[in-house]
Amino acid sequence: MSDTTPMRAAGRGMIPRAAPRQRVPQAEGQPVIRSRDFTLLYGTKVGVQNITMDIYPQSVTAIIGPSGCGKSTFLRSINRMNDLIPHVSTSGRLQVNGVDVYDKRTNLVNLRQQVGMVFQHPNPFPKSIYDNVAYGPRLQGTRSRSRLDEVVERCLRGAALWDEVNDNLKKSALALSGGQQQRLCIARALATEPKVLLMDEPCSALDPIATGRIEDLIGQLKAIYTIVIVTHNMQQAARVSDRTAFFCLGELLEYDRTGTVFTRPANKRTEGYITGRFG
Amino acid sequence: MNVSLRRFGDTCFTVTAVGSVLLLTAALVIILGPMIVRGATAIVFQGTIEFRQMQLTRHGRGDPAAVARQVASTNEARRPLYQALDEFKRGIDTACLEDEARQVYTELGKQLRNRNLPAEQLLTIRRHARHLRDTLVDAFEATDKAEARRRLLEVLAESDDPGLAGTVGERLFAMARDYQAGLDTLDLGQRQEYATALKEVQEALRKLLGPRPGEPTPPLAMNRYGATRMDLVERWEDDLLYGEKWVQKEPGKPLVKVRINRETEQFQGTRLASLFRYWRENRDAIMEPAFTVYWQYLIDDSVPGHFFGGVGPEILGTLVITVLAIAFAFPLGLVSAAYLVEVAGDNVAVRFIRMCINTLAGVPSIAFGLFGLAFFVGTVMDGVRCVLAASLTLGVLALPVVIRASEEAIRSVPSPYKEAALALGASRLRCFVTVQLPAALPGILTGVILSMSRAAGETAPILFTGAVAVGPALWEHPVWDWAGQQTRALSYGAFDLASNDRIAAMVPHQQFGMVMTLVVLVLLLNGLAIILRWRISRKLRGR
Repeated sequence: MSDTTPMRAAGRGMIPRAAPRQRVPQAEGQPVIRSRDFTLLYGTKVGVQNITMDIYPQSVTAIIGPSGCGKSTFLRSINRMNDLIPHVSTSGRLQVNGVDVYDKRTNLVNLRQQVGMVFQHPNPFPKSIYDNVAYGPRLQGTRSRSRLDEVVERCLRGAALWDEVNDNLKKSALALSGGQQQRLCIARALATEPKVLLMDEPCSALDPIATGRIEDLIGQLKAIYTIVIVTHNMQQAARVSDRTAFFCLGELLEYDRTGTVFTRPANKRTEGYITGRFG
Repeated sequence: MNVSLRRFGDTCFTVTAVGSVLLLTAALVIILGPMIVRGATAIVFQGTIEFRQMQLTRHGRGDPAAVARQVASTNEARRPLYQALDEFKRGIDTACLEDEARQVYTELGKQLRNRNLPAEQLLTIRRHARHLRDTLVDAFEATDKAEARRRLLEVLAESDDPGLAGTVGERLFAMARDYQAGLDTLDLGQRQEYATALKEVQEALRKLLGPRPGEPTPPLAMNRYGATRMDLVERWEDDLLYGEKWVQKEPGKPLVKVRINRETEQFQGTRLASLFRYWRENRDAIMEPAFTVYWQYLIDDSVPGHFFGGVGPEILGTLVITVLAIAFAFPLGLVSAAYLVEVAGDNVAVRFIRMCINTLAGVPSIAFGLFGLAFFVGTVMDGVRCVLAASLTLGVLALPVVIRASEEAIRSVPSPYKEAALALGASRLRCFVTVQLPAALPGILTGVILSMSRAAGETAPILFTGAVAVGPALWEHPVWDWAGQQTRALSYGAFDLASNDRIAAMVPHQQFGMVMTLVVLVLLLNGLAIILRWRISRKLRGR
C-alpha cells in the first residue's frame, strides 16, 4: 500500500491522503461508536451508569466533567483497557463499527488495532523513535524494511514530528521533550491505521505551546479519524471538538453539539460546571 | 526545629554515612587485601634455578641454553656441599668403612691369585692383610679415641710392606690415614647422634637442592626438583641450619625440646661445620633466584598434591559447572517470575508458593548438596557423580534468587509501558516479551549474576555431587563428554588443600593462590555484571 501523493514539505508537513481508503466524510447518520445503557462497576462502586450516546465519524467528540465522574472510565471501556483492572464488571451494550466490544467472541487484538489510544502522560517505549512507531505494524506482521520505513515516515509526518526527528530515527524516544514524546505516541497510535483515536487528557502534562501544536494536529487528524478526547480543560473542548458530552458522577447529563452545550446548555448542572460554579 | 539544630542533624547524618562507607571499604580491604596479596605470590615470586629447570622439563618453557648454563654453574657451586657431606659421612659411617675394608681384602685375594705367586708367599701376604684388616676394623669400631689411634698406628706401621705394594691392599693404609685425620675432629661417643643428625642434614639438603647430579630420577614428581621458590628456601633452610635436641632443663622434670644451631653446637669442630657457613654465604650462587611471573599458573595442571603447578583445571571446572547451573536456572527462573507476576492470582496457593521460594533462598547450601546427592546423583544420574548433577544442584540453589530478582524487576516496569503495548493490540505474551522483558533486563541480570557469583563460590553442593580433589582435568575428555565427568573446582580444591592435604601444607602459597583465584573470579563476574547493567540502564534511560 505505497503512498503516491507528493508531500507538502515546508514547516510542519501535511497529512498525505492515503489512496486506497476512501476518506469521503460520511453522513452523520452512521455512528462509529454506539453505547446503549452501558454500565461499569469496580466491584460494587459505580464507574459509569446507563451511558447512552452515539459518536459520529470524522469528528472530534469531547467528554468533559469534574474529577472522578467517569470520563476516563468510559473512554477506556471502548478499547477494553479496563480489563487490566481486577473486579470490573459491565452491563449494557457498547459497539464499535457494529461489533459488540464486550462480546466473548470479539478479537481483542483486532479491536485494539482499530481503536487506538493516547494516554495522559506520554509513554513511549524505552526504544528508538523508529522502533516505537514501527511497534504496531510489526505486531501486525509487517517485516519488510521498506514498508516499515514508509509507515514510520507517514505517521511521523502525520503527527507533525517528522521534521524534528528525521535526522536520527535511532535516537532513544526518551531523549525527546514532553511535547515531542506525546506526538510520538500519537504517531505510534496512527501506525496501526485505526478507525478511532481515543485521547485521554493528552495535553494535561504539556506546556501551552506543545498543547497548541497538539490541538492543531487534532484539527488535521479529524478529517480521517474519529477522535474522542477526554479533557478537563473546557476551553480546549470548546476549541477543538464538534460535539461535547458532559459527565457527572458516572452519568451522562448532556450530549450535544459543542456550540449548543457551551452557549445554551439544557441541563442546569452543565451550566453550573461550565460557568465554574463547581468542579 | 530551629535551623542550627537542623544543620547539626544534617552534619551528623553526613558524617555517619561517610563513616560507614569508609568503614566498609576498610573492612573489605582488610579482609580481601592480604588474601589477594598472598595469593599473588603464587604468580609473582622469586623463582630459583629448580623452578626454571622444572618449567623446561615439564612444559618446555624457557631457553634451554640459558637453563643449561645456570644448571652447570649451580652444580659447580653445590659441589663443596656434597664434598663436605661425603667426607664427614665416611668419617663416621663405620659400618660402611668396615664393609669397604672387607671388600678390599677380597679384592686383594683375587688380585694376588692373578699374579701367580708361589703358594707360600701368597699365604703370608694374605695372612698379613687379614691381620691388617682386622686391626683396622677394630680401630673403626673402637669408641675410645686413644685405642682407635693405637690400632691405626699399628696398621700404618706396616704401610711399607713390600708384599702389598702395588696392590689394592694399599687402600687399607689410605683408609687408615683418612680415618686418623678425621679422628681429631670427632667425638666418638657421639657417633650415633652424628649419624642421625647427618641424615637430617642430608634430607634437608635434598629438599633444597633436589636429587644429586648422577642419582637416578625419583619416581614421584615432587622429589625430582629442589626448592622452586626463595620463600620455600628460606623456610626449609631452617631444617638445614638448626636441629632439635631433648634437654633436661630442670632435674626431676620431663625433658624439653630445644633448638640448637648445627654449625656452632651440633657439628662444632667437625668437618661438616664449614658446610653451613658455605651455605649461608653462597646461597644465591647455589639457588640463583630471579624475579618470576608465573602467569601460566592460571592454565597449568598441577602435580597430584599441588606441590607444583597451577589451577587451570580448577578454573575450568568452576566455570563449566557455574555456566551450566545458570543455563538451567535462568530460563526456569524467568518463566516462573513471569508467571508469578502476570498470570498468578492472589490466592492462598500462590502465596504459599511465594513463601516457599523465599524460604528456599535462605536454605543452607549443605542441604542442597544432600538433596542433589539423593535426587540428581541417585535418581536422575543413577548413582553417577558428574558435572551435570553438580550443575543441576547449583542451579536449584540459584533458582530462588533468580526468581525473586526477576519478579521484582518485572513488577517494577512502569505500567504505562504495558498499557501502551496492550492498547496497540499486543497480546499478553507479545507485550511481555517485547516491552516488559527488555525494560526489566537490568534487574533480572543483577539477580542472575549475583546468583552466578554465589554458585561459583559454593563448596557444599558440589562436594557430593561432582567435585573431586584429584583427577584428570576436563580438557582431557572430549567436549561432549564433559557433563558426564567429575571435575576439580576452585572452591572444593581450596577446602581440600586446607583440610586434607599434607603435601599442600608444605606449599601454602598454592592454597592462597587457589583462594585468590576464586575471589578474583567472583570479583570479575560482579564487575562484569555492574558494567552490563549500567550499559543497559543507560540505554533504557535514553542516553
